[in-house]
Amino acid sequence: MKASMYLWWARFYSKGKVWILLSPALILVVFLFLGGLGFGIAESLNYMPIIGLNDPNFDAYRAIFSDKGFYKSLLLTLHVAITPTLLSVACALAFGLVLRQSFRGKKVFTFLFSFNLPIPHVVGAIGILFLFSQSGFFARIGHALGWMDMPAEFPIIVNDPWAIGIIIEYVWKETPFIGVIVLAILQSIGEDYEAVAQTLGANRWQRFRYVLLPLVLPGVLIVSVAVMAFFFGDFVIPAILGQTYPAVLAVEAVKDYTHYDLRNHPIGVAQALVIAAIGTVLVFLYMWLNRKFVRSDG
Amino acid sequence: MNRIIRWFAMTMIIIWVVAPFIPLWLWSFSLRWRFPNLLPEVWSPRAWLYLLKPSSGVLDATIDSLVIAVVVTVVSVAIAIPAGRALGLYRFRGKRFMEFLILAPTIIPGLASVFGVHGLFLRYHLANSLVGVILVHLISSVTYATMVMWGVFSNYNPEFEEQGRVLGANPIRNFRYVTWPAIFPGIVVAALFSFLLSWYQYLLTLIIGGGKVQTLAMLLFNFARSGDRPVAGALSIIFMIPALIVLFVTSRYLTGENAAVSGLGGGR
Amino acid sequence: MTHLVLNELSQTYSNTDKPALDRLNLDIKSGMLNALLGPSGCGKTTAMKMIAGILTPTSGDILFDGKSVLAIPAERRGAVMVFQNYLLFPYMSVGENVGFGLKMARMNKATIEKKVLEMLELVQLPGVQNRKPSQLSGGQQQRIALARALIVEPKVLLLDEPLSNLDAHLRDEMRELIRDIQRKMGITTVFVTHDQEEAVMLADKIALIFEGVLQQYDEPDVFYNQPGSLRAAKFFGGVNFLDGEYAANQMTTELGTFSAPRSSLDTGPGVLSIRPEDIEFGTTNDGDNTISARVNSHVYVGTYTKYKIDVNDFRFEVIAEANTKESFPDGSNVTIRFPADKIWILPKG
Ligand SMILES: Nc1ncnc2c1ncn2[C@@H]1O[C@H](COP(=O)(O)OP(=O)(O)O)[C@@H](O)[C@H]1O
Ligand SMILES: [Mg+2]
Repeated sequence: MKASMYLWWARFYSKGKVWILLSPALILVVFLFLGGLGFGIAESLNYMPIIGLNDPNFDAYRAIFSDKGFYKSLLLTLHVAITPTLLSVACALAFGLVLRQSFRGKKVFTFLFSFNLPIPHVVGAIGILFLFSQSGFFARIGHALGWMDMPAEFPIIVNDPWAIGIIIEYVWKETPFIGVIVLAILQSIGEDYEAVAQTLGANRWQRFRYVLLPLVLPGVLIVSVAVMAFFFGDFVIPAILGQTYPAVLAVEAVKDYTHYDLRNHPIGVAQALVIAAIGTVLVFLYMWLNRKFVRSDG
Repeated sequence: MNRIIRWFAMTMIIIWVVAPFIPLWLWSFSLRWRFPNLLPEVWSPRAWLYLLKPSSGVLDATIDSLVIAVVVTVVSVAIAIPAGRALGLYRFRGKRFMEFLILAPTIIPGLASVFGVHGLFLRYHLANSLVGVILVHLISSVTYATMVMWGVFSNYNPEFEEQGRVLGANPIRNFRYVTWPAIFPGIVVAALFSFLLSWYQYLLTLIIGGGKVQTLAMLLFNFARSGDRPVAGALSIIFMIPALIVLFVTSRYLTGENAAVSGLGGGR
Repeated sequence: MTHLVLNELSQTYSNTDKPALDRLNLDIKSGMLNALLGPSGCGKTTAMKMIAGILTPTSGDILFDGKSVLAIPAERRGAVMVFQNYLLFPYMSVGENVGFGLKMARMNKATIEKKVLEMLELVQLPGVQNRKPSQLSGGQQQRIALARALIVEPKVLLLDEPLSNLDAHLRDEMRELIRDIQRKMGITTVFVTHDQEEAVMLADKIALIFEGVLQQYDEPDVFYNQPGSLRAAKFFGGVNFLDGEYAANQMTTELGTFSAPRSSLDTGPGVLSIRPEDIEFGTTNDGDNTISARVNSHVYVGTYTKYKIDVNDFRFEVIAEANTKESFPDGSNVTIRFPADKIWILPKG
């Protein structure tokens, strides 16, 4: 009896093991993530039978799309997601190219470079705030050097309309992250390809542009997409370093969702879903563009 | 030319690493520090002493943060090991879809699902509770931990387990003596990753905890916006302690790339 | 001492319809060493894993001393497999690796240590117990893997391609070591190889498998002298084949009729086969089974010379021992004889 049960289980497990192994993760994703998304969609459509709302409608979305402020927020959000991604990638490539050379102290600097990987964004934001506010550390240094007298003379960098403070924080935090990946890729590539290109007459720039870049880009693409997706939906940093109005979509959505007037709830939820939709489209667009770029020129 | 570029890059790296933390430390020990002074006018441990006081709520918030993060870490790793194994080791029908489903939370921001989750939790009395917060933290932690374990199992030879079995190890001992040591470095990465993700989580805790669950991340956010710079500075430093432990562990025990991956946890 | 029987043993992996192993029947007497021989991908490892108990058969049975072991999990079955790539646990010392099975059996430390030393002695690697597996050469790792399997005194020892990752002279050493230990301990052993020479040198009996199907299960010399099929003959190095019609001890072919008393069929279409070293050279075209031919080319390979000989559109390979036969220049006309007792008639196809 026991023996045949063992055989039954062995056969069953060998057939269904994948699903047995995946089931805990799947349950979590389906119930919490998809469940949350689904419930959110219903809420954004004002469809909540439990409290007597039986007729779904697009009121919340209409309210969003007819609001000028939404478009300002959207532009700002796109700016805050795309600009620091490109800047971080550029900085990461630059640091990667320097750090791959061999020189004295390379180990130390490589460690220092990766130092802020596990440091939280909030702390970075607070540091940036203390450094760049109009009475901040850099303003004081400016004063000490005799470049300015009053805090008001220091350029507005935090809580500013161009989101410079947010971008500085993002680039500060994510450059090392992308950079470490770049460095790992560069190390696995080695220098042979460039040597070959050099013997074929490629100059410095051409070796970078036509040999190194196409080799590095696919890997960089993956991480930078993850980074950009994060920027697009982030709340904390814009809430600390951003201006009050217009704020990025995530901040606006939270503002509406936590508003004391419950009628704003569906609008908040709808905005969150719009962020998710645009963010996802953006991610795919970005991957498509990059792939095209890599293919046609690489 | 090369040397100049290198010098410039090295200087930048030092500024990069040091600059944001100098004012944090200075502010945390200042009582009065007006423009345009380069150093505090009156030094004082006031902020630090304040944080030690029970009334500041730091102790309670630390305990909440720790409890949540530890539970999230243990559960995430426990779920991620089998899931990563399935994705890394086997090919099966519907795999692409499963990958997409499990990894979707990395691309679709937590904001998109958290309001709906809140609605659901309100109905099942999970909102405003520690359990609810832990559950919502699990979404992203499990996803990232699964990614790590997936990578581990992609480079894993399951025949070692078969070898263990035929040599007389039952499934439990086989896991203990064969599988566990082989995947242990990956588990460390996944665990650090999950812990930091949960420790740093602000928005999901805010929405699901509804202000009833106060974590360190929430406290710090509030101080960051309150304008009490000495306290914000001091709390920032306390808040970073797990990150410093992670740095230490990764630099000691893990190779560069793993360290990078675990560092990603700090970003989210 | 275990009598191992495989009864209609089959395995169909879930992602395919075609069985990786199709109704394999083997009967391996106690203490015998049998080989599973066949090209890569034919299902040899699959068969081993089922015997070991880490893969559940789709159908069929495995019997140890007449009792089915299907319901006994791998860890209690007593069939130990040594994998092709050794699989020494990299985070354990060599000694811990060898002692692993005893630790799983909860034997006490002192006994384990003593037995480990004995085993290392047996595989002729004394004193390496404190090293890490990565500090050993491939051949040494193979011996450690063998010691790790033998220490649990298995009922059945399964060796998956034990020699294929070794270079030539290590292979000879290892082969002898395996043979010696197997004889000494009398363990029923199955070993896998894709190299027919290896199988012939080591095995009491060889199971030849193609695409999951058992082709022939016989003593080694039978595969040379009386292969059961054209494919089997080719796998064992046969190169000279001639289609024809067989009847009454006579093989009628395009090149004439040959008397051939040895045959695997009674009558009908067949294939004449003869090994290169069995063909005789001559210059006179009389006597039976003799035909005129022309030397196409030859290569001198030290102890023998290998000729390519043309007869009309057919080409034969002939091996002539360097010192026993005169040499024939390329392009010269010769006669070749197929001795009747060396011809073997195979079924066609
Ligand atoms: N786990 C598996 N899943 C699916 N097919 C497999 C698996 N293992 C082996 N196969 C297939 O079964 C056949 C036999 O494989 P194997 O027993 O490893 O051959 P051999 O050891 O003779 O080289 C091959 O075609 C192989 O691709
Ligand atoms: Mg094999």
